[in-house]
Amino acid sequence: MILHINHVQPGRSESTSGVVATLLSLLEAGEIDPNTLGHLNVHIDWVQYKSNFREPVTIRRVVRDDELLPLTDIAVDLRQIQQETMRKALSEALNGTGPDSLETPKRTYLESFTPMRSSIIWTFNSVFWKYLPIWEEASGKGYEKALPGGHSDGHNAQAIQDSIVEFWEQLRKVDSQHLLPPEIYILEIGVGTGERASRWLDGFKALDSERGTTYYPRLRFLAGDYSVATLNRVMASLEAHRDLSSFVEVDAMNPFKSLSHLRYKVMLITLSNVYDNLPTDELVLRDGKLFFIEVRAYVPSSEAARICEKYHLPAGDLERCVQKLLQDGPASFDSLDQGMGFWQEVWAAVRLEERLVSAHNLSEAHLPTGMKPSYIEGLIENAPANIRFQLSSGATESFINTIPLLHPRGSLQVSDIFVEKLTDYLHGFRGPGKMDGSIVNWVNGALLEVVGAQSGYDVHFAPFRYRKGSKTSVLYTTQRE
Amino acid sequence: MSLPLLPTSVVGSYSMPGWLERLKTDYVLRRISRLELDEIHDTAVKAAIKDQEVAGVDILTDGELRRDNLIDYFAERLPGVQIDRASKKFYYDFYDSVVRGKMPTAGIGIVNDFKFLAANTERIPKFNVTGPHSLVKRIRNEFYKSEEEFAHDIARVINLELKELVRAGLKHLQIDEPYYSGFPEDLPWGVRVLNTLVEGVDARITLHICYGNRYGKPTWAGNYRYLFPTVLEAKVHQLSLEFARRGGEDIDLFKELSGKFEIGVGVIDVKDHEVETPDIVAERIRKAAEFVPVDRMFILPDCGCLHLPQPVAFSKLKAMVRGAQIVRDELTK
Repeated sequence: MILHINHVQPGRSESTSGVVATLLSLLEAGEIDPNTLGHLNVHIDWVQYKSNFREPVTIRRVVRDDELLPLTDIAVDLRQIQQETMRKALSEALNGTGPDSLETPKRTYLESFTPMRSSIIWTFNSVFWKYLPIWEEASGKGYEKALPGGHSDGHNAQAIQDSIVEFWEQLRKVDSQHLLPPEIYILEIGVGTGERASRWLDGFKALDSERGTTYYPRLRFLAGDYSVATLNRVMASLEAHRDLSSFVEVDAMNPFKSLSHLRYKVMLITLSNVYDNLPTDELVLRDGKLFFIEVRAYVPSSEAARICEKYHLPAGDLERCVQKLLQDGPASFDSLDQGMGFWQEVWAAVRLEERLVSAHNLSEAHLPTGMKPSYIEGLIENAPANIRFQLSSGATESFINTIPLLHPRGSLQVSDIFVEKLTDYLHGFRGPGKMDGSIVNWVNGALLEVVGAQSGYDVHFAPFRYRKGSKTSVLYTTQRE
Repeated sequence: MSLPLLPTSVVGSYSMPGWLERLKTDYVLRRISRLELDEIHDTAVKAAIKDQEVAGVDILTDGELRRDNLIDYFAERLPGVQIDRASKKFYYDFYDSVVRGKMPTAGIGIVNDFKFLAANTERIPKFNVTGPHSLVKRIRNEFYKSEEEFAHDIARVINLELKELVRAGLKHLQIDEPYYSGFPEDLPWGVRVLNTLVEGVDARITLHICYGNRYGKPTWAGNYRYLFPTVLEAKVHQLSLEFARRGGEDIDLFKELSGKFEIGVGVIDVKDHEVETPDIVAERIRKAAEFVPVDRMFILPDCGCLHLPQPVAFSKLKAMVRGAQIVRDELTK
């Protein structure tokens, strides 16, 4: 048995040692099969997100070509596990008899095993954004209020002002080299309420006037979002800058698709908290061997029965009702209240079962479109022999499909939660977590750095210094000189 | 060998296979020997030549597959330039190179690479040399009083090698100066050192000027207006220019040349993986023909195909050749 302590959470040493002591006690009592012991990895995590997809004790089987391998992972979430139930939970998991054992009737499955990025949880996520106003009304709080700290870092006044000054100086420099195009394109992807964009443009206009330059009238501001409803809302926010603003339906994972006419023309591209909400796959290295993660979403059957009863739905009909919700929205139920209540309770109850699938090589690992296997090879060349990390598939695709829009002297700035070094995955849980009705995942910044470097871009990170304790950092990308 | 109307050529580099990138990097990291790398290069170059021949290109190159990038192939060979071999980890990066004293007169040893090309094709071979202006922008100067002085000395040294190339049978020479577009203010001395470089070199000389192709994307933006009138002083026969990606927006400028130069018209966008159809290529040629006499026009991609996957590069060259044929047929009906 190999014990992996994947957290450095202060004040948790007692519960960590409690898990270790319980495991040893189970061993001493002969409750762990010696055949299992030799292939057992126990991971002790502290899951950062209060709401997530994990049981207190999770078992992960390992398969190769549908054959079950003896290697087994058990993951313990210190945040959830209770001292009183720890022994029973661990014993049941180790002996495959607990609620986490495979194909148990105690679970109502919502899908078959699938790569993580294709899981139904991402459909829940999309539906959340589609029906955001209804969700906000039902939950009684706006999306931003549900964020840690209750507001978006993207709206920080000082951060906006510094960004304006920095951009003006960038323009000044390019202008002095006679390389400034007549039209100065700016793109914000995931424009939200438009509040940041509005403040930014107000501030830029004022600075331009104060410094006696005429850059503002040359700006072409593109507000990009995949939601037309959002773009309509933003249109009103940007009324004062209407002459130079456009509103574009943009796929966050492929902005180039709808903006290819702006190839190499955009001077500034910004994204805030977009990457952390895009689908991802995960890879695992065990003793240097490669595995990828497959998941299947489920709701504990007791919860499924309770939810169906509460919302007067036929018992055992949970899966069909979930499909109806995801296809037709909450209004397709007898009443919107019923639909919303059902949605919120299912979302709270949904969990992910995981398994590790042995990969013969990287080409089997569902790499993001546009990513060469050599990028991952380069990344893991010096990685620890045992590590699990995100491919940040959606974020990586978005990055790959955004940089061709950059003007040779332009920059891409992404505010998000980044894992800046691969080894940081050894020291903390990086998602997925649940954020109100959506998903949150940290983004593999180390991988984006490799992707950028291989494409001729320098990528670096700076902490978001405007809010104490903020986990946000800003990824800056510029073309390599 | 005679050339048809609207002869086709390539700018220089051909698709760099992923496996060759890895092996080149292996050499940089001392995992394989120079001898092994040379053998690998020979094989890759033969394949690149074959692709160009099959595509039907009239004037072809060795695909520049022996080169790490447009600078290091020369920086490693220029006498007096010191290279920090530990300064790069990936073959495509630039070495940290520096000149700390006057460059001695010596050969740079590129003639055999041309001879290999010439021996492996029956088409017309072209050889490319990075121009002095671009080289001084990447090789650190700790000796010469000015960039122009340094560039002039580079031109003096390479000029001797160019004459050796001509003695070895070279008839089509191309000088690459992509950095002109990034430093338009340097153009007067850039053209002066170019003229030093080609002085007494008895070959058809093309000057290639683009907006950069590092990592398959432009390094600079703008238009070719900055070339005028200084470029008229360049002692070259042909200008090879990037038009396809930029929509041919300033090709009208070259009407003013009044036959001073042949124009190599870029009709293939090498920064886009979507393959042009022959009809699109033909349309680009027709547009160019409004401003450039067809008997003074050569048909090329915008720049090198280095960053395109092989199937894409090959298909683009085929489309280029077919597009040229369409217009040729129209003109000779």
